[in-house]
Amino acid sequence: MNLTSKPLAAIIFIVFFGGIAISTVMGSWQTESSKEAATYTEGEFAGQSNPADIRGSYTFGDVEKNFDIPSSVLAQAFGIESDGAATFAVKGLEEMYAASEFEIGTGSVRLFVALYKGLPFDLSVDTYLPEDAAALLKDRNLTPEQSVYLEAHTVPNPAAATDSPVVDPVPTAESASEAVPTQSAATSEALTENLIKGKTTFQEILDWGVSQEIIEQVMGAPMPNPLTKVKDYCTEKGLDFETIKVALQVEVDKMK
Amino acid sequence: MKIFGKRLFRPRSIWIRRVVQWFFFLLIALIAVNHTLVENGGGIAFLSTASLHALCPFGGVVTIYQYLTVGTFVQKIHESSFVLMILAFVLSILFGPVFCGWVCPMGTVQEWVSMLGKKIFRRKFNHFVPEKLDKALRYLRYLVLVWVIYVTATSGTLIFAEYDPYFALFNFWTSEVAVAGLVILGVTLLLSLFVERPWCKYACPYGAVLGVTNLFRVFQIRRVESTCKNDGACSIMCPMNIPVDVVKTVRDHQCISCLECTSEAICPVAKTVVFNVGGVK
Ligand code: SF4
Ligand code: SF4
Repeated sequence: MNLTSKPLAAIIFIVFFGGIAISTVMGSWQTESSKEAATYTEGEFAGQSNPADIRGSYTFGDVEKNFDIPSSVLAQAFGIESDGAATFAVKGLEEMYAASEFEIGTGSVRLFVALYKGLPFDLSVDTYLPEDAAALLKDRNLTPEQSVYLEAHTVPNPAAATDSPVVDPVPTAESASEAVPTQSAATSEALTENLIKGKTTFQEILDWGVSQEIIEQVMGAPMPNPLTKVKDYCTEKGLDFETIKVALQVEVDKMK
Repeated sequence: MKIFGKRLFRPRSIWIRRVVQWFFFLLIALIAVNHTLVENGGGIAFLSTASLHALCPFGGVVTIYQYLTVGTFVQKIHESSFVLMILAFVLSILFGPVFCGWVCPMGTVQEWVSMLGKKIFRRKFNHFVPEKLDKALRYLRYLVLVWVIYVTATSGTLIFAEYDPYFALFNFWTSEVAVAGLVILGVTLLLSLFVERPWCKYACPYGAVLGVTNLFRVFQIRRVESTCKNDGACSIMCPMNIPVDVVKTVRDHQCISCLECTSEAICPVAKTVVFNVGGVK
């Protein structure tokens, strides 16, 4: 039996489109994932959805379905308008936070969900969260190890991220009086303004008006090169960063 | 028109193959654009919004291991890839890698660039690589296949997407495409000026999978020795440099079932290079 090009062309069409039609009828033509996160296979959490399986194509609504975290909470954590948050695709975060020094994306949502739900998560890799997300997690039951990790992996919210990745510039009198901040901008400003974090340097604290003597007094040690991060210095000198941070924050707040 | 069994006006190529290639190229291109539009809140109503991964039969191949061991798909791969993989396999077992010769847009694009190469280099085109080297390089795609399956199985992610020129071709406008993929695409297109289908011949892991069916496919390319004039036209025309004029049945692992060597296209004698099943009458 000889076959020529035209019947072969017809067969190719019939096999591909016929096959797709049949598989559609049988319900096996799925071009998207079922949006059901894989579960932990062993250990204490076996059978529960695993945040590590959250994909970029998931919407906040899908995350809500899988992990029972309201999309409004996710919206608040990642600075999304709460209207329509359920249809916001997780991978959209990367673009939103494009100006951020550290990547905020699908990994950040995985981390947030894990910490929010008290589920295990690999903390050996660096994954970052915006400040709003970190603030929401403060009230959750975090282990000391998770708290320390969170502290060191918090970055400014998107509004702040576009201006400066580390600190919000203090608004000038002119811009402050002209600007009519939206509610979310105002909230994020209050949260990000002059806050001592894992990345804060001594120079920033000096810029916020705290003198070198006060800093040295609080630490009970001489101040190093101002460009050193407070946290790094504390670690080096065996000082408790959390205690020093709180004490220094009190001094910073006095300057406002 | 035929006189004494010989055709006076014979088509120089299988034109319907070009039509089918254009069709699938445009279809995939439109779906890829539509996918981007949908992600940005737009989209063309009647068109599929699937991602390119969901429409790639090779995705089905790389996910087999994970599917059998864990029961899930590799990230970004869905049931549709499995369906397409099975359909392309069925076609290949019957007719050889027609997916490569008629459907795959990556093969099509290389052929388009090669048209220019043929105009520039004429008879030298597709004969630049020394025969011995060429023969050895043709097995490279099996190494690529083993590597792709290995890294996918161990990582559970679609690492090959970062190197895949086909993915880069239909995603160069998105942030999803990796530099490596773009570079490989660029090199492939450049080489297509000198060699027909360089990616298919030397590197494509899916071509490697489908190529194996050439050894046992049902419909074969056969040459009828009794009427053959031994002018070598079929071999000169073959995009994959297969010496059709010296074999009775083409079983070369690189044949793409394009039918360009047959009497319907380049072979000047009717019913001499045929595509059939069973013995030649
Ligand atoms: S060998 Fe690969 S790139 Fe070439 S046509 Fe076949 S599947 Fe496409
Ligand atoms: S042997 Fe014939 S069908 Fe096969 S690739 Fe060469 S020209 Fe095409």
